[in-house]
Amino acid sequence: MNGRSLIPRVAGALLFLSLAATTLPRLVALVNNARILLPLRYDARREKQMGPWYASVQALRRALPANEPVALVTTPRDVDAAVFANYYLYPIRSRLFRGRNDYRNSANDPALPKTIVAVSADRVARTTYDDLRDRDLRAGHRVVTTPQLSEPSMSFILPIAASLDGPAPETFVIEATIVNPNPAAAEVRATFWPKGLVKTVTIAPGATAVYYDFVHQLFEVTDRGWMRIESSQPLRAAFYFANRGHGDATLLPKVTGAATDIAAAPVYRDTKLFVLNPNDTLVTAMVSGNPVPLAPHAFVSWPVTNVPTVSGNVYAYVATRQLNGRTDFLWPR
Amino acid sequence: MIGLIVTLILFPLVGWSIGRRSLGEAFLFGAGLTGTLLFLAGLIHVPLAAALAVIVVLAIIRIATTPRASDTRHPTPGTRLATAMMCLPLIALIFITAITPLSDFDGRAFWVLKAKGIAHERAIDGPFFHGATLDPRNRYPILIPLDGAAIFGIAHDLDDRQIRWFYLALLIALALMVRERICRLVTPAAGAWCAAILVWLPQFAVEIEGGALSGYSDIAIAAFAAGAFFELVDGVSQSRGLAVSQDFDASHPRDRATARPRDLQFAVWLVFLVLTKSEGLPFALVFLIIGAFVFRKRIAIPAIATTIAAIALFVWRARIPAGDEEDILRMLPTVFGKLHHLADALAAFPRHMLLLQRWGIFWIAVVIAAVLTLRVDKRIATIAISVIAAMLTVYASVYVATDWVVSDLIAVTADRLLMHVVAPALTLIALAGYRTKSM
Repeated sequence: MNGRSLIPRVAGALLFLSLAATTLPRLVALVNNARILLPLRYDARREKQMGPWYASVQALRRALPANEPVALVTTPRDVDAAVFANYYLYPIRSRLFRGRNDYRNSANDPALPKTIVAVSADRVARTTYDDLRDRDLRAGHRVVTTPQLSEPSMSFILPIAASLDGPAPETFVIEATIVNPNPAAAEVRATFWPKGLVKTVTIAPGATAVYYDFVHQLFEVTDRGWMRIESSQPLRAAFYFANRGHGDATLLPKVTGAATDIAAAPVYRDTKLFVLNPNDTLVTAMVSGNPVPLAPHAFVSWPVTNVPTVSGNVYAYVATRQLNGRTDFLWPR
Repeated sequence: MIGLIVTLILFPLVGWSIGRRSLGEAFLFGAGLTGTLLFLAGLIHVPLAAALAVIVVLAIIRIATTPRASDTRHPTPGTRLATAMMCLPLIALIFITAITPLSDFDGRAFWVLKAKGIAHERAIDGPFFHGATLDPRNRYPILIPLDGAAIFGIAHDLDDRQIRWFYLALLIALALMVRERICRLVTPAAGAWCAAILVWLPQFAVEIEGGALSGYSDIAIAAFAAGAFFELVDGVSQSRGLAVSQDFDASHPRDRATARPRDLQFAVWLVFLVLTKSEGLPFALVFLIIGAFVFRKRIAIPAIATTIAAIALFVWRARIPAGDEEDILRMLPTVFGKLHHLADALAAFPRHMLLLQRWGIFWIAVVIAAVLTLRVDKRIATIAISVIAAMLTVYASVYVATDWVVSDLIAVTADRLLMHVVAPALTLIALAGYRTKSM
């Protein structure tokens, strides 16, 4: 073997060594990993690789109907997890929605999947739109950080109580802060009308109860109406009608009886007259001279173009949307 | 297990039905041909299961009725060490493939998902491709997913364990083809060592994103590009006595028996390239330009075949909605407004070539070999260098034109794009080794 024939051998050996130095340790690691996985069933190997996330996909796959499409709703950060969920769920068809707003903006799409699957990097789970909404709201921040508490009172009406979504990003909630300044616990009974849903909560002496979405947190519904609050102790409280999407909020009055005298004021778009019947009996309200019968605890609204005249044993007010999206309320005197 | 059996039988069977060739080449040819025929069948709405059945039956008939040429070649003792070195990682990879589930990104997000979709719907333009389910890269070419769908379909199982073998088999087949072609071109030892180098390249062997353990299509495109490249090189060696292989028995009976029209073979590899990945079309165009100097007037056949494949691909794409893939053709005119990407684009490949954890000193060796090889066989060296340089230029241009964050795109693609030109690179190393020895 002469010197020249040695050159390609040495060069080849160097090249090979450079490759082996990198490949061999990784190959050994992969073989060792395979040896660990070997005793497991194939799905268990995937679970070992991907953790509980894969187990949740498998559980979901068993639970979902094969021929019903699903909406994979995820955050922009977890899109990859949704892409892989799509892979492991197939042939169950899926559509990807980057966030809850993406899903609700498709509300008019006839092909919108009704089954919602929430996807994160940790797990995949069937859920409902309301749950997704609640999770988003809980994770976010309340609009009102320093609520203006009322004087203590034991019974009052909230003229509007809502937990609703408009077109994204509008999300309407009631932000509530209830303080029990008394030395005894307060039993607070909330009745959501016109559905008549009742919920009682207890607020410890000196405690403050804070709600980011009062209606949904109490009654687990997304709806609108009015609410009667009755307490065993006088409470200081603040209830705001808040639009989380726009970051604006309006302090709600604590209504104690009928009122219909709404002062004339400029109105903007989406203006509506709201009338509620706080009585246990049927009443007839006069709206712009027309009689309107209202069932006990009814809550009705009409679109209007100006502030109408209302009379009767009811509570009436007007809501109007400013061009910037903020909701203004015209309360009765 | 069914997936393994189908992989081992179906593709070599189809490959051997169109003439005798080595096992590696037969596998790659079979994979390409199966995917292409299924694609064309799907395009004219022939049921894919029926098309696959016809392909298999015709392949069996063809093999049964074709006289076998006996292989009288003797084993080459000088290649035993290289063969052992080649087998070592492959044995490990077989063990890993048998046990470890698929875990890469693109394989699960795009390629194997498409294979599942095609196998489930038995169509290439069914609801899967029309938005019924999430398919992020809806218009990616589907030759390899069609092969995967064939395996899924025969196995009656959409679990990706069925097609894990196919992706490893692509690497093994590429290694065998490199071994055989460089063996014929240079020396048996050069072929054996080049195949060994290939399977030890970290990017091919152990890289989770794009390697043999993944569901990417980059090894496939590297293999089809290798096929086209070796046809070009064979075209050169047919047109004149090849300088480097005079001491190797190129006029062996088996080689004469397997002599095939190179331009036709070249055309078929180009078709496979076009239908495998979006990069395949510019790759085929580069090969056509270089091939025009080798095949002269006979380049018409590859050009026509490539055009037909491209038209078929565009027709299919026109029928289905776009995903979130980039439209390269629409992007290219915007390149002058994105010249600030140029520095990143130009630095991309040199920087990644020097990534020791992905390539060792492979690309350093290739650059040195390119210089040395120009003295041994200028024409083959020119072809190899031209293919590498042209493709890297095309890819760098795409980096300039991209709407993605260019540094992010380079980080996740540059090494995989380098894989595509591995065959010309290995040929340069083989020729340089020959040159150094024979000085």
